[in-house]
Amino acid sequence: MSAVSDEPGRARGWAAGLLRWFSLRLRLMLVFGLVALTAAVSASAIAYWLNRDAVLTRTQDSALDEFRKALKDDTDPLPSLPTCSELREAAGRMADNTQKYEVLLITRTKDAGSCPAASDKDLFTLDVVPSSLRRAVDEKRPVGKGNTSPYHLYWQRITLGGTPYLVGGAKVNGGGPTGYMLKSLDTERQDLNSLAWSLGIATGLALIGAALLAQAAAATVLRPVQRLGEAAHRLGEGHLDTRLQVSGSDELANLSHTFNRAAERLQKRVAELSAREASSRRFVADMSHELRTPLTAITAVTEVLEEEADSLDPMIAPAVQLVVSETRRLNDLVENLMEVTRFDAGTARLVLDDVDVADQVTACIDARAWLDAVELDAARGIVAPLDPRRLDVILANLIGNALKHGGSPVRVSVRTDGDELLIKVRDHGPGIPEDVLPHVFDRFYKASASRPRSEGSGLGLSIAMENAHIHGGDISAANSPEGGAVFTLRLPMDASRIASDEAEDERDGSPGTERDDGGAKDKGKGTGKGRDEEGRP
Amino acid sequence: MTNVPFLLLIEDDDAIRTALELSLSRQGHRVATAATGEDGLKLLREQRPDLIVLDVMLPGIDGFEVCRRIRRTDQLPIILLTARSDDIDVVVGLESGADDYVVKPVQGRVLDARIRAVLRRGEREANDSAAFGSLLIDRAAMTVTKNGEDLQLTPTELRLLLELSRRPGQALSRQQLLRLVWEHDYLGDSRLVDACVQRLRAKVEDVPSSPTLIRTVRGVGYRLDAPQ
Repeated sequence: MSAVSDEPGRARGWAAGLLRWFSLRLRLMLVFGLVALTAAVSASAIAYWLNRDAVLTRTQDSALDEFRKALKDDTDPLPSLPTCSELREAAGRMADNTQKYEVLLITRTKDAGSCPAASDKDLFTLDVVPSSLRRAVDEKRPVGKGNTSPYHLYWQRITLGGTPYLVGGAKVNGGGPTGYMLKSLDTERQDLNSLAWSLGIATGLALIGAALLAQAAAATVLRPVQRLGEAAHRLGEGHLDTRLQVSGSDELANLSHTFNRAAERLQKRVAELSAREASSRRFVADMSHELRTPLTAITAVTEVLEEEADSLDPMIAPAVQLVVSETRRLNDLVENLMEVTRFDAGTARLVLDDVDVADQVTACIDARAWLDAVELDAARGIVAPLDPRRLDVILANLIGNALKHGGSPVRVSVRTDGDELLIKVRDHGPGIPEDVLPHVFDRFYKASASRPRSEGSGLGLSIAMENAHIHGGDISAANSPEGGAVFTLRLPMDASRIASDEAEDERDGSPGTERDDGGAKDKGKGTGKGRDEEGRP
Repeated sequence: MTNVPFLLLIEDDDAIRTALELSLSRQGHRVATAATGEDGLKLLREQRPDLIVLDVMLPGIDGFEVCRRIRRTDQLPIILLTARSDDIDVVVGLESGADDYVVKPVQGRVLDARIRAVLRRGEREANDSAAFGSLLIDRAAMTVTKNGEDLQLTPTELRLLLELSRRPGQALSRQQLLRLVWEHDYLGDSRLVDACVQRLRAKVEDVPSSPTLIRTVRGVGYRLDAPQ
């Protein structure tokens, strides 16, 4: 269930991580790309415009120069009022040139008023010539200082049917005909277009190069960052010996160095703390151990005293009773302490047996004479491999706690929920205060300072919890909406998976001799959960 | 066997030894005591007790070793007195041949109950015999022979075999066996059964690693089969 609910969260985290990585990479690539684009585009644009200007100017100048010369040379022999055909011949002569331009000559003629004579009548008519150009050509300027002739040569670039053309025009000074030229700039345009293409491709290549460079730069920056991230993750998982390789002396190396130092300090600190904790645990273990010996002697003797209590002096009998009952309490306390230290040291083991849960609960209640105070709601036939002794400890603590603090009737229900065993212990007391609820499983936690000296050791619920954990289960405490506290014990139905193989090895390994037996057992322990084996003599 | 059980208590701690001796005597036992394993073994040879209560932590040879040495020659019942926190101790103790164990600090009543339960295992109760292949169980003489040869079984092993042989082909759970053989309450330690079954197999099976008589029934317990 938890795995399913984790799924979107993990996906979200993954996506966020991806976005984070991408955004850094993307940002770098974007910056590199922009720089490359700006540089390439501006360089290309400048190159293009310079080239264009140079090419057009050169073509233009040579065409116009030739036109001017031809106009002068070819119209000179014409009479002042030439015929249309004469004019057409002149135009044809002029059009026969190296620059491959068409010519249109216009003048007043003998036969008609005006005759436009074109070398290529289909292409070049007077309509092609823009009116502004015609006006400029026809305009007579006053001759004076700085202006030697009344008419000048003018030109303009136009587009005809998608092809660029140069149109130039001039009036022959001294009342000659007006001549226009039309030169196709298609070749130039093609040249410039291919230049533009080349520049575009160059820009594209520059962009790709920039992207690759950005990628490389990102990798050099991001890979160490990623390594650092992984190392931090490992460190967070508890691998305190994680260190980074420091190479170079840049900021990243500096960071790695700092990381290593921090990890080292952390490791040292944790080692110190765990050593301190281990020694205090060892102290508790040793202490409870040492308490056991005198307690064994005292326990054996108090029983003798107890049996004799009736025949003792009535003044002394209560004292004997007190010694007996307190010895028992002390016994319980030491027993619980030992149990706790066993869990802390990791030497606690599961001894699984197939248990009918309902029988077990009944037996637990019966053994403590709680039958009258406990309502049992359990279906028979729920059999699970559990440690009967540990289950009894859990049940005794939960039910005992409910009876002590909640009051009867205590209701115990046994259910199965999928592959989990669910045992609920509900009392009808005042419930547990909200601020106490999170601490009920703490060791020696007292609900209130004013609470009378508890009959328990203060370890009961904590031990119950540990016993649930060793089964791979859990206990939760809550208040029922109908009043009273509810403790819910969840145990896996197949705790055998949690228990190491050793139990099965011991049980079914069918070892033949004592020697084989030991071998099988040792193997079982080896494959166990790496528990502490120090206790073995 | 006299009516008053004669126990040998091997315990190094003076206070515990004195207290347990006092307590057990009051429960009606005759008690001999020894402070070390070596002394205990010597006393065992001289006085022939009915049962040994053996502390695990002993100076010199420890309780496990004492147990092993006794088992080499003797099948008399042994109850281990363990104070060690590790569960491993129990397993080692059971493997070295102990019949039962109690954890310190032990109440005299509990120890007494265990002692009496162990002693009861040697008492005969029926006058018939049963055969399982080459294995012959004579309930009248309380002896087990294999191929006509006497098998040396401890009272616990014998009782376990008797309980299984009384219900041939029927699987008995560990908890059932604990009640029947060890007379434990519902919280019996199933490792007692497992350890005893293994010791018993070592004695009665032809090939103890592939048992044909005492079979393991997974998820249930053990069963005694007549071999085909």
